[in-house]
Amino acid sequence: MINLWNLVILRPMLNGLLALASILPQEVEFGLAIIVLTIVVRVASTPLVLRQLKSTKAMQEMQPKIQELQKKYGKNKQKIQQEMMKVYKEAGVNPIGCMWPMLVQFPIWIALYQSIMKALATTPENLLGLAEHLYSSERIAQAIPVNSHFLWLDLGQPDRTLVLAILVGGTMWVQQKMTTAPSADPRQQSTSSTMLLMMPLMFGMFTMMFPSGLPLFWLVSNLIGISTQYFVTGGWGYLKRPAASSSTHSVPRKRK
Amino acid sequence: MSYDDMLYLGATDGKIRAVNPEARSEGLPFPSSDGEWSFAITMPSKSFLSCGDSSAPAIIYSTPVVVDGRVCVGIHDGKVMMLAPSARIDELHFPHRKSGEWTYPDGDDVIGAVVGNPVAVGDAIFVCSSDGAVYALDASSGDEKWRYELSVEKLWTTPVVQGEAIYVSTFDGHIYALSVDDGSLLPWSFDAEVGFASSPLLYGDTILVGSFDNNLYAVRIGDEKPLWRFQGGNWFWALPVVSDGVVYAVCLDGKVYALDAETGKAKWGEPFDAGSPIAASPVAVDDSLVVAAESGDVYVIDMQTGVGARIENPEGDEKPSIDGTTVLASFCAQDGIVYIRAQNNCLYPIDVAERERKARISLD
Repeated sequence: MINLWNLVILRPMLNGLLALASILPQEVEFGLAIIVLTIVVRVASTPLVLRQLKSTKAMQEMQPKIQELQKKYGKNKQKIQQEMMKVYKEAGVNPIGCMWPMLVQFPIWIALYQSIMKALATTPENLLGLAEHLYSSERIAQAIPVNSHFLWLDLGQPDRTLVLAILVGGTMWVQQKMTTAPSADPRQQSTSSTMLLMMPLMFGMFTMMFPSGLPLFWLVSNLIGISTQYFVTGGWGYLKRPAASSSTHSVPRKRK
Repeated sequence: MSYDDMLYLGATDGKIRAVNPEARSEGLPFPSSDGEWSFAITMPSKSFLSCGDSSAPAIIYSTPVVVDGRVCVGIHDGKVMMLAPSARIDELHFPHRKSGEWTYPDGDDVIGAVVGNPVAVGDAIFVCSSDGAVYALDASSGDEKWRYELSVEKLWTTPVVQGEAIYVSTFDGHIYALSVDDGSLLPWSFDAEVGFASSPLLYGDTILVGSFDNNLYAVRIGDEKPLWRFQGGNWFWALPVVSDGVVYAVCLDGKVYALDAETGKAKWGEPFDAGSPIAASPVAVDDSLVVAAESGDVYVIDMQTGVGARIENPEGDEKPSIDGTTVLASFCAQDGIVYIRAQNNCLYPIDVAERERKARISLD
């Protein structure tokens, strides 16, 4: 299984990253290669992302109906479930439909993460491990070892300036805020508010612990995610909406 | 490193160990009173989550070198240290200057990571650092004699000294020659199109070095073009062995090649196939070459014919020679016994003549 993963996913991505680095300006080769490959992977997975966004949007549109059902049937959870399924069926929405495009993307992100970490080869063991994954190519050989300096960052070391941590946490918060629908239920609202803060804080902390090549990938990924949501789902979404009210479940209008 | 019947080992757990093979063969607890000691090097913790004066074990990749009875080692965390066995046996505060111990740089200061081995010549110690500089230190005091900035990333190699010159191979594909006296750059350097994966090895006036394009280069000092290049199936990561005009080179493609040192032509009909990557430098004992593969299998190869025999595991034929653990560290040969330290922190003595694994010595 590991061999198959390496052969089909990891090696092509790792060698692609190195080949890309070898043709980019040497001063910024690896930082730029991470950015370019992240964009390429995000663009390639656009159909999946659009499908996921479409499903999420459809689910959000149905929230008022769902809440009506919850009010109507009170504590009869079985009935609520049955009625919800009916509503989903009528609207032609699969409630787990917004999940599977995300799941399909996971291996790609994991491979990208592994590729970045392997290519950076911050220790002798890592560099040694890199050898077994490389294609026999002059171009790839020329890229090794990669230049880990990019802007103010040493991509092989954690960024201690806090700048990258703030950027990663900030963009993650914006991306989540754009899609997190405020809830009229105070308990639910409290949970989602906590989640909204926890994830960016966690990733901000990870940024200060991991070699900054990885947070750079998160940052670019977040920025592309924000752009996609802005242009596909219409404007800033829930980022600009007021606090929870009875009308919060309406769909954000598309920006003109 | 073997010196005066003792083995000196550095490890990634931050410990330097002085091992007496005789005491180990008697099964005494480590460290015994027979000159053995273990010293744990710690460094201030760099993690942003740590608070106060917390420390973490240092990481040691380099092989220690013995200088006037003292042990010098490079630390990945950016230090070069000199330890005196007498002070370590008595567990005195480190560095015990009266015993000749020192650290470079002093106190909490650090240089870039030291991965390659320190090299001792005369009263000087030469070491390469990941900050891109080559350092010459006074072996007695640890004072800096000179420092030359090569401006390359990851200078992880071990320099080699011949006469008045010190030669350094770099990951960006250069071999530089520096003056031993003052570190100034000498007129000759060699440039390749790809980086060098290994440290240089000097054989006469020829430098042997492995590159990231899977070649083993032989470069005659003073020449602009290589004397020869030999293409393997992967990187030549480890230092080769040269004996009687033949280069014995191990490769990450799992093969052992015997090459004519003058022409680079293969000497054996077929290279010896160890079946998995070989990252540790081999060692020659009499007419035999001892090689350990990543799989944990150890082979003793006839240097004339290229025919090899696998060392059997006393616990069962089907098991790899040394319990299936990776071998990255260089070997140590003493009185016909080759000591192999594996990543499981065990030492395996191999009797070359008997083609037999003698024991499994735990260093924990």
